[in-house]
Amino acid sequence: MRRRVSIALEIADVHKTFGTLVAVEHASFAVEANEFVSIVGPSGCGKSTLLRMVAGLVAPAGGRIRVAGREVTGPIRDVGMVFQAPVLLPWRTTLANILFVADVAGKTTAEHRERALQLMALAGLSGFEHAYPHELSGGMQQRAAICRALLLNPPLILMDEPFGALDVMTRERMGFELQKIWAASRNTVLFVTHSISEAVLLSDTIVVMTPRPGRIQDIVKVDLPRPRDVSVLEHPRFIELSARVRGGIGMGSETGSHAKVVSDPAALAQ
Amino acid sequence: MNAPEKVIPDPTSASLAPAGDAPRSRTANARGPLRSFTAVVVFLLAWQFLVPLVHVPDYVLPLPSIIAQRFVETFTLQVANLAVTGMTTLAGLAIALVAGVLLALLVVYVEGVKSVVMPFLAAFNSIPKIAIAPLFVIWFGLGAESKILLAFLLALFPIFVNSMTGLGEIEPDILDLSRLAGGSPYRVFTMVRLMHATPYITDALKVAFPLALVGSIVGEFIGGNRGIGQLILAAQFNLDTPLVFAALLSITVFTTAGIWIITLFERRFLKWRPSQRSR
Repeated sequence: MRRRVSIALEIADVHKTFGTLVAVEHASFAVEANEFVSIVGPSGCGKSTLLRMVAGLVAPAGGRIRVAGREVTGPIRDVGMVFQAPVLLPWRTTLANILFVADVAGKTTAEHRERALQLMALAGLSGFEHAYPHELSGGMQQRAAICRALLLNPPLILMDEPFGALDVMTRERMGFELQKIWAASRNTVLFVTHSISEAVLLSDTIVVMTPRPGRIQDIVKVDLPRPRDVSVLEHPRFIELSARVRGGIGMGSETGSHAKVVSDPAALAQ
Repeated sequence: MNAPEKVIPDPTSASLAPAGDAPRSRTANARGPLRSFTAVVVFLLAWQFLVPLVHVPDYVLPLPSIIAQRFVETFTLQVANLAVTGMTTLAGLAIALVAGVLLALLVVYVEGVKSVVMPFLAAFNSIPKIAIAPLFVIWFGLGAESKILLAFLLALFPIFVNSMTGLGEIEPDILDLSRLAGGSPYRVFTMVRLMHATPYITDALKVAFPLALVGSIVGEFIGGNRGIGQLILAAQFNLDTPLVFAALLSITVFTTAGIWIITLFERRFLKWRPSQRSR
């Protein structure tokens, strides 16, 4: 059966300022259901702010955000969130941490426990159900945080640089792990990162942002076949797409055309 | 509370530790108390057998054997007076716990309260409570009330300050996560804030408990005719130094028991804490 293409997330002319600093300037893009979309850009380009606006944790100064057709006016439900830090509760075991999002809403059932165990198996955390977070490695903690975001099988998952705090080797492995976990459910994902290779490896679409003011520079469709394994990193198309994203950020050969003149001293101080 | 809150000892977490780790920490734990016990015994033996060599009279520094003998002789007296002091101490501590946590809740949950309450509390905390103790005797008489009040006032501040930190300083990401999950304020309180605050409060109790005892005993010094404080005063009046020391022994036993109970609670329910790890 052919999957019906529907819009999971729509960002229309979204604007956000903090004082005199323009965090996000008139951003517009749409995310199809079951699509993996990355927002890539250097620090300070407003990509995290954009993600938090999608979750309804931060109100945009202008423009509209729609999730599953409904306008975002406050913190939304039916969304999974992964932060840069795992933010696991130290007094809860790994299993209890994954169940936290159901527990705090007072709706935990036997099915939730069953699903948590399945997710843990998928994420390679089996056997650590009763381990406390401090007994897990950084990568395992972040995998537990991903399981927690997936527990309620939300139609939209937001990830804010989830591998940003990990070492390079763990980080690369986590990219492949995430692809595997995601392939099992194919929830719509909006993934913020500053790693170009991570974005190309994981995404269907890459939104390239430039900083100060945070502006969408390019939207890149990644047409590499899935599943993508380590060999894809050497694929000519992978290298080509990476170069295009890098160029969009303003780090490639065509830097000059995208360079922004920063006239605001407050922005420079950031 | 829900099941995940209960910390159930389980075999799997033990198996997670590197193989060489667990037995090592176990022997270290077994050796710790043994060392402490040996140190105490050596200290008492030195006191018992070395002090007589310099001819210190009993009314200045009685020997451990004499103190022990006096303690046994006056055992019912000790128990009766300790019961009085213990009651006022625990009552003051309990009221301080409830009031301190409630006050902290008010500060954490109601915006603006902190800036109103804090100057008063800071000013109040800078007053030596002991110095105003005679005032409480005037206001509340020589009964248990003035002692409980003093114990309460001494114990309040550490409990309040620690509760405020424990209940208030929650990682914003966790609160965001709870909001997105549709968590009710009550569940966020019980599952996040209270759980986070518990070790802060047990830490505060370890400080506040001896402070409450100070309050009770000072209250007894100032007025009244019951309690360990009064027993010490009476013994001092009669130059019965062994009885003074015997009363101090009673207090020590009481304080140690109290701290031990708090520590047991921590080991049982807070085994995720860094200080409780590998135990």
